[in-house]
Formats: sequence, C-alpha cells, structure tokens
Amino acid sequence: MKEEAFGSPAAATGIRFLLLAAVFIAGIAAERIGLVEYLSDPWEREYVLFLAGQHLYLVAVSMAMALVTGLATGIVVSRKRFRKFAGVVMYVIGLGQTIPSLAVLALTMSFLGIGSKPAILALYIYSTLPIARNTLAGILSVSPAIIDAARGVGMSPARILLEVEIPNALNVILTGIRIALVINIGTAALGYLIGAGGLGDLVFTGINLMRTELLLAGALPITILALAGDYLLELLSLLIVPKGIRMAG
Amino acid sequence: MKKALNVFLAAVVFLAAGLIPPGIAVAEDKTITIGGKNFTEQYLLPELARLLLEKEGFKVNLRTGVSTVIARQSLEAGQIDMYYEYTGTAYTVFHKQDDAEIMISPEKVYRWVRDKDAKKNLVWLDPLPLDNTYTIMMRRADAAKAKIRTISDFGQYVEKNPGKLTFALESEFWERPDGFKRLMVVYGFRMSPADVKRMDMGLTYLALKEGQVGSAMGFATDGRIQAFNLLTLEDNKSFFPVYNPAPVVTRKTLEKYPEIADILKPLSEKLDNEAMRILNASVDVEHMSVSAAAEKWLKDAGLR
Amino acid sequence: MNLFVFLQENYSTAMYLTWEHLWMVGLSLLIAICTGVPTGIFITRNKQLAQKVIGGANVIMTVPSIALFGLMLPILAVFGHGLGKVPAIIALVLYAELPIVRNTYVAIKNVDPALVDAGKGMGMSKWQLLREVEIPMAVPVIIAGLRTAVVMIIGIAAIAAYVGAGGLGVFIQQGIARSHESMVLAGALCVSLLAVVVDLAMGFLEKRVTPRGMKP
Repeated sequence: MKEEAFGSPAAATGIRFLLLAAVFIAGIAAERIGLVEYLSDPWEREYVLFLAGQHLYLVAVSMAMALVTGLATGIVVSRKRFRKFAGVVMYVIGLGQTIPSLAVLALTMSFLGIGSKPAILALYIYSTLPIARNTLAGILSVSPAIIDAARGVGMSPARILLEVEIPNALNVILTGIRIALVINIGTAALGYLIGAGGLGDLVFTGINLMRTELLLAGALPITILALAGDYLLELLSLLIVPKGIRMAG
Repeated sequence: MKKALNVFLAAVVFLAAGLIPPGIAVAEDKTITIGGKNFTEQYLLPELARLLLEKEGFKVNLRTGVSTVIARQSLEAGQIDMYYEYTGTAYTVFHKQDDAEIMISPEKVYRWVRDKDAKKNLVWLDPLPLDNTYTIMMRRADAAKAKIRTISDFGQYVEKNPGKLTFALESEFWERPDGFKRLMVVYGFRMSPADVKRMDMGLTYLALKEGQVGSAMGFATDGRIQAFNLLTLEDNKSFFPVYNPAPVVTRKTLEKYPEIADILKPLSEKLDNEAMRILNASVDVEHMSVSAAAEKWLKDAGLR
Repeated sequence: MNLFVFLQENYSTAMYLTWEHLWMVGLSLLIAICTGVPTGIFITRNKQLAQKVIGGANVIMTVPSIALFGLMLPILAVFGHGLGKVPAIIALVLYAELPIVRNTYVAIKNVDPALVDAGKGMGMSKWQLLREVEIPMAVPVIIAGLRTAVVMIIGIAAIAAYVGAGGLGVFIQQGIARSHESMVLAGALCVSLLAVVVDLAMGFLEKRVTPRGMKP
C-alpha cells in the first residue's frame, strides 16, 4: 500500500522548526517554574549532566546491539531461502514491542538483577524490531528489475546485496533506525526504576516531590534528545542516501 | 465484516462503561478514603486501620503507593480523608523546621505539628510508639573492616577515601530537609554525585545486599535489615528527628465520624518498633500479603 | 515463594488490577476513537492541516509517557485530580490519537481513486461517498491503527501505576519496592499476556474486516 510522503523536505523542516520553537517556549515557561534557578546550582547542573551521560550510555549501547541484530536479521530473512520464516521471525522480535516496556524491564531485572545491564537488555529488545522490520521491508521493496539487471551484469549475490539492495533500501532502513532511536530514548527514562539511572531519575523524583522543575529538568532533555536524534538521522539519510534513490523513494 | 466490527466496538464500550469504574469512591455513608505512601509499613498501617474500621461498619477505600508529598497534598485537597504521617517528617518537610531540641523529643515534636496542623484543619490523632527513622546501612562485614559504627565514622571514611564508598538512596531522601544533602553538611563530609546512586523506593536494600553499593539508606523498622544481615549506623549527632506515625485526619471527616479516634487507638497503644519490624518482615521477607499479615497481627493482638 | 503460589494466593487482587487496567484502556480507546477517527477524516480535506495535526501528534509521541504524566500532575492538581485515573486516561487518549488519526487519514487517502470516481459517476454526494465508499474501504487500515494504539496504551497504562492510577503496573511497582520477585514477575507476565492476547485478537479482527479483494 502506498504510504503518503509528507510534503517536501521544506515543509518537514518547517514543522521541525516549529517543534523546536515550541520546546523553546516550553523552556521559557520552565524558567518561571524555577527550572533556571535549579540549574544555576552547579551541583545540580553537574548531576543533570551526569544523568544525561548515563542516559546516553544506555541508549548508545543498546542501539549498537540493536543495529547489529536488527540489520542482520532483516538481511537474513530477506534472502529467498529464509523468506518463509520472515513472518514468524518478525512476530517474535515484535513481541518485544508488543509487551509493555515496563514489563520488559521488570523481566530483565528478574534475570539480571538491578543496574544498567538489565536496562540495556530491555532497550535492546525494544529497539530491534523497527530496525529489523524496516530492513526487511526496504530490501523487499527494491525493484526486481534492478536486481535482475545486476544479476545480468554478472554480480554475485553478495555484491548485489551490498551494492544494489542495501543502498536502495537505505532510506527505509534509516527510517527504521530513527523510529528505534526515538523509542529507545523515551523508554530509557524508565531505567531509573530498576536502578539504571538516567534522566528518568529527575522525572520520577519530580513527580514524587511534586517539584515541576525537577520533572522538566528530566523531561525536557529527554524530549530534546529524541527530537535531536530524529533530526540528525534525517540529516544523515539526506547525506548518505544517493540522490537518485531518494527521489524515487 | 460488520459483525466483527460491531463485536469489537461493543467490547470497547462495555469495557469503558460497564460496571462502576473501579476506584472512584461512591459517596455513601460511612465511607473513608485512606491514603498511604509507597513502602511496606505504609501499606500495612492503612490496612490495619481499614480492618479496624470495617469491623465498626465503615467502608474504606485505600489510595496507597504514593510519595510523602503527594499523600500530604491529597489530604490537604480532600482527595483522601486520612493517612499516617510521621511527626518528624511533618516537622521538617512540611513545616520546614529544624530546632533540634524539639525534633528529638517525641512529645514536643508531636505537640508542635499537631498544633500547627490544627490551623490547617488537619487533626493529628494519637501517635504510635514506633520510631521509623531513616538509617544509613552497610553490610556487616564491610562496616567491621572499615571500623565504621557511627555516621561520623562514615563521614570521615568518605573524606579520607574519596570514591571508595558508594551510597544508594531514594530520591526523596536526597531532597528532603532531613535528608542526605543536609546530613552531609551537618556531619561535615561530601560525597561526589557519581558515588550517590539514586533509585526508586525499596531498591536500596537490594542494591546493598547484592553488593552494587557500599552503603544505603533504609527505614529503621524495615524487616529486610535483619533479613539481609545489614548494620544500621548510629546517628551520633542526632541529625534525624523522631518519626512517630499518627493518623492525620481532615477536620471535616473527624467531625462526621468522631468515633474514628477511638477505633484506631489500639494501634497507638500496641504497635512499637519490635512489633512493626516483625510485621514488615512477614510481608517483605516471608512474602505474606499485606492483608494477611495485618489480619494475623490483629488477631494475635486480640483486636479482631 | 514462587510465581504460581503468588498468583494463587492473590488471584482476586490480580483480577481486580486487570479489570482496572482494562477499564482505563477501554475508556481511553473509546474517547480516542470518537475524537481521532473524525479528525482523521476531516483532515483529508486539507493537506496542510493534515501535516500540522499529524506532526503535532508526533511530538506527543516523542515525549516519554512518564514525563507527560508528571507534567499533568501540577496542572490537574488544581482541580483535585493530579493523581489517579484522570491524568492517566488523558495521557492514554493523547498517545492513542496518533496511530488512529494517522491511519484514518492514510486509509481514506489511499482508497482506490477508481472507486471514488465510480461513486462520483453514480452521482453520490460527498457525504455519501464518505459513508458508502471511503470509510468501508478504509476500515482495515483504521483497525490496524487501533491495534497499534491499544497495544501501546496497554503498555503506557502499566506506567500509570506510578501516578496512582492502579492497574497491573501496581504489581510491578510494589514488587520492586518490596523486593518481592514473584509480585514483579506476576505483574510483568499478566500485563504482557494481556498485550499479546489483545494484539492477536486485533490481528484476527483486522483479517476478518479486510474485504477479500483487498487482502495482500
């Protein structure tokens, strides 16, 4: 089924600008709630940065693992030999997303104890599906005509994969990575509940102490990180996806 | 297709509207909503109160599992009719006082908060004898090796060996005026943020037991201290106030049902530190359900 | 104590929490359907509006759910509903909107133009077209959106336990706080099972609702 692309890149940039502006306005509102005062304490600033570092650590490690597994799975299952397993494999990986994030964290905690390890495992499980699914979909959507042409020229299956299928699927694959990244950054906030630290600390503490500035000190960076990650990956796809393919996509 | 669709929509509507939505209190006669915080003792106290009240014909709704601040604000807003608050907590957190002479005397601090809250139309009923103070805990072996017995020892060790000792606490304890930030000031030491691990309620005991941290905060009456073989450090500078729990009731509720005070009195006569520790342990260590543990205790105490 | 013993002894609590959970999810879904589907239909008339609406819904999705709960707390506390089911249901509705609105929009936009032309040729009014051609053809994709939405909010409802909304998240929250492994497992498994079962049921519905001609 045709997915409708949402307007020109200009419109997308327009929306993104609006979003960033909205974040800025929220930031100004936050100042009046005491967020700026909170952050002007060097001890607290140090702590927020420390938590942000923890948060990014959780995201980075789990995303790296998810990239490897997701791409590999997507590629393997796209091969003619394994295509019949695609449905089952995608469903099993998809379970990681169907199951509520809090439950996945609780389950990994039961096996690995508390700390960052179970959190990374849970985030990894959560991020793999979008990547795997989009890799598969992207590769499968490559026009058979192009593959035939490549075969006709005498390319080996490996070369076809590397030089034809993947580059053509890159757009869709990168979209999958984007989705995974955004989900990952948001879910990492729950890591605090099983002792993994991260910006969720400020969010939950803010709720418990009814201190909105703590809440925002946690929620704003997470949201900004997610938006930034989304934007950077879009930039990346603009850069590395060959123009011809992007236009056709 | 239409049939499947209709079945689905019907299911959604049924779920949404079906029976009376759970948790929304129906305004009947003799109904009380009791709040509670998010640790075991604060699930047990409302449960004990509920059992006592239900025996006298009350219907009780429980709204437990929230933080100190949220519980207090719910009470002030009338969302709940009562909950068990600790004298020391009310004194330091809500009224932001720090007079040591008042804080460490059970009678003085109780009278102080009772009088102040009376002006807010919140009535403090009789306090319980137990003192559920914050404590700093370490694994016994580690404490012995480092020769740490008091919080002063702890502070000195931290100053002399920066980075060697990590501390797990719950975020409320970090921020509160009777919490770690101020404790470090009073005891004259400073731990770096990297060594202070904040985690959600209850994880601190586990983190200490599992060796993830070198020290942790806890509650004095928690049953896990003994079960996990942990040592509590002595508060030699009497930094912590006394924490006696008492039912805090809205004046409106008390005027409607003045008998509540008498119904709940037995708890304030019989529930001391030892009894509470055993109760907590039966839930946290023996994994009895909160209601079963409460029932059993009341029966054993001859109140049920 | 192991998991099965726990579930046996706490069967009624587990049932009550499941009911609470389903109730929150059901009500939120109903509200989201009633607001989201008409919105999705409405914005098919105006592409610019569609971009803005769907873009806005996208932003909400970026905000981690617990942060949204937390942000509503001080606002709703003014009305005495900072805690509990009210902020939970509001958040659940907001999160459910994106998949529902987007799928409705895409579904209607993707109705085979030939069919729309045929309808116009038969003299159907805009309303008739909508009711007798576009919506029926769009139903499968809308259901797919509902499927995404409901699985997502079952998960978010679990987190709502941390703002006092109840539901199966309570087992997870209390279990962690009390170092009660079986309780945590019970909560995690029950809510996972719930999500998987609902997902399967919705998948089944999706298949039933797809006209044979349109099945891939």
